[in-house]
Amino acid sequence: MRSGFFAGLLLATVSATAAFAQGAPIKLADVAELSGGGATVGNNWKNGIDLAIEEINAKGGVLGRKLEVTHADSQSNPGVARAQVQKALDNEPYVLLGPGYSGSVKVTSPLAAEAGIAQIMGGEAAELTQGGNKFLFRTSFGQQSSMPKVAKYINDELKAKSVAVVWVNNDFGKGGRDVITKEFAKYNIKVAADLSTEAGQADFAADVSKIKAAAPDAVFIYLNEEESARILKELKRQAVTVPLMGETTLVGQKVVELAGDAANGARGHVGLTTDAPVDLVKAFREKFVKKYNYVPDHNGLKGYLAIYMIKATTDKMGKVDPKAFADTLHGLTIKAANEPGILMDVTFDEKGDIDRQGFLVEIVEGKQVVKQVLPKLN
Amino acid sequence: MTINGKYWRIALGIAVIAALIIVPMNFNRYGLYILSQWAVMTIAAMGLNLTLGYAGQVSLAQGAFVGIGAYTAAIMTTQGLPLIAALGVAIVLCFAIGWILGYPALRVQHHYLAFVTLAFSTLAFLVFRNEDWLTKGIYGISGIPRPNVLGFATNRPLPFYYFCLGSLAIVSLAMWWLIRSPWGRAFVALRENPVRALSLGIDTRRYTLMAFAIGSALGGVAGTLYAPLTQYIDPVPFNLSLSLDLLMMVIVGGSGFFFGPFLGAMIAVLLPEWLRFTQGYYLMLYAVAVMLLLIYSPTGILGILDRYLAERRTKAASALRAVAKSRLETAP
Repeated sequence: MRSGFFAGLLLATVSATAAFAQGAPIKLADVAELSGGGATVGNNWKNGIDLAIEEINAKGGVLGRKLEVTHADSQSNPGVARAQVQKALDNEPYVLLGPGYSGSVKVTSPLAAEAGIAQIMGGEAAELTQGGNKFLFRTSFGQQSSMPKVAKYINDELKAKSVAVVWVNNDFGKGGRDVITKEFAKYNIKVAADLSTEAGQADFAADVSKIKAAAPDAVFIYLNEEESARILKELKRQAVTVPLMGETTLVGQKVVELAGDAANGARGHVGLTTDAPVDLVKAFREKFVKKYNYVPDHNGLKGYLAIYMIKATTDKMGKVDPKAFADTLHGLTIKAANEPGILMDVTFDEKGDIDRQGFLVEIVEGKQVVKQVLPKLN
Repeated sequence: MTINGKYWRIALGIAVIAALIIVPMNFNRYGLYILSQWAVMTIAAMGLNLTLGYAGQVSLAQGAFVGIGAYTAAIMTTQGLPLIAALGVAIVLCFAIGWILGYPALRVQHHYLAFVTLAFSTLAFLVFRNEDWLTKGIYGISGIPRPNVLGFATNRPLPFYYFCLGSLAIVSLAMWWLIRSPWGRAFVALRENPVRALSLGIDTRRYTLMAFAIGSALGGVAGTLYAPLTQYIDPVPFNLSLSLDLLMMVIVGGSGFFFGPFLGAMIAVLLPEWLRFTQGYYLMLYAVAVMLLLIYSPTGILGILDRYLAERRTKAASALRAVAKSRLETAP
């Protein structure tokens, strides 16, 4: 009995030491929209994360330690997201990943900041990084950096004086609409029609009739992928011939697949796309398709990049230090030449916003063609 | 109920209350958040239990009333007004709207009534989302402060949980009193047989409206607690699915039983959390569990208990009868 007790004690000591040793895995926590309205977003994000972790662990991990991630489902509900982030933070992760919905980011970011843990998220609403939160990082352009480029293109290249704006009424769509409307005002571009649509809307006949009636010089479309495809078909059916401009979600591979011919001629600004003319991105896409059997959208890329942001930052610090993580990532430039997993050179500013090259693409005969590469700012 | 049974019930009640106060002291922030959520949802479900369980009016609008309460609290407290003022406004507002929504209930029943309230629920969601000037639309309202109660700040999770628990206790006591008052009996009469109730001189019209209004006001109370709990609200959590969720809590717990909403909210809030270890399957398992329960006992969890107690009473009664009969037979 007594020896058993000592053996147990010894075992406990050994395992306790092991847990604190350098070789223990680095714990990451992901909270994402795995069910509910944002399930496509969350599952792409999750798969991107898993793919990156698998790659890094296969090569021996970060500073010799494996990465380990737990995924929690926010049900696309901010209240649930808060509970899950709280749970994740109670387990003291190295870095918090997600959520993807801007509302869920808003409700969770004060918690991560209070815990002093860096949060790498997928939200794109402009205001997220403008509240002075020192622990929040984007994985993609916020709308405040992508929309000005779109507005500039509409003014300089399309020379449009009036534009119909079609947006989806959720925080993503409304955010984009608000930023671009402000940008249009700077160029004296008139908003000929301001059309709010529902997520999951099937029929766009009425909206397109309104666009026709407004007779704009161009149409700006800011919807999710499925709805983008539907409105493109309807625009073709009702023979709207003015230029169609959008963002990542208008010119994605999925839209081309769903809309077929109707997608031809659609243009958009794309921050992250698996169709980017970058070899590393193409290689990522192949790996992803091989593992999951489908082509990811930009959320898959975002999840993948989030993990490589962690790796690059940790390598730079030379130690696993959650407290110093955010400080190190602010102002950090990660070059794809040194860290291929980051895919494209990227710089993070003091607010946690991202600077990276972007693309202006057009769909020509069912293929994304890059018309213009918008260089990284600095 | 024997004297002994009564003592047992009181002892059990005290033990549960003590556990609710003492056990969470060691909980982490996540556990406290979930428990606070349970307390808030229980209040909303109690309101619906009054409308549905006692007065028999199907409502799919309870989630909307939680939303109205939450938005009232969010708008007022972010303007610097105290939560207690918001609570007052929310109760009056929800009571008034609930009263008005009760009018269709005078004319339509059951699933027709469900559709009327469903329409209201959608209407409320659209107001939350589209009236930017008031609700900030889809962006939601963030930075909702937590209140000071009797001089104590409730910013930390534990004090806020006690605040929710205390609110639940007050609401429970009020409800306990209400359903034992003549009003409560009138509500039940309304459910069981409206014509007979009317013939007994109960103003069914007034009591139907009252059941709706009080139930809705409790939804508003839950909402005023929900806003400072999450400290951020947007329209999405208050869509139809919350109303359905609350309806499920009432039915699963045992509609028309006082403790039904407590158990129902526990199932709805805690069970999915416990099942999370199954990863991608947790919502499916949760759905299956609820379906199985309702197939086994359409009257909910307390229905099982009720059936068991009724059986025991019947057995005891038949045993007594048998004894009495045999005595009668053996009597000279």
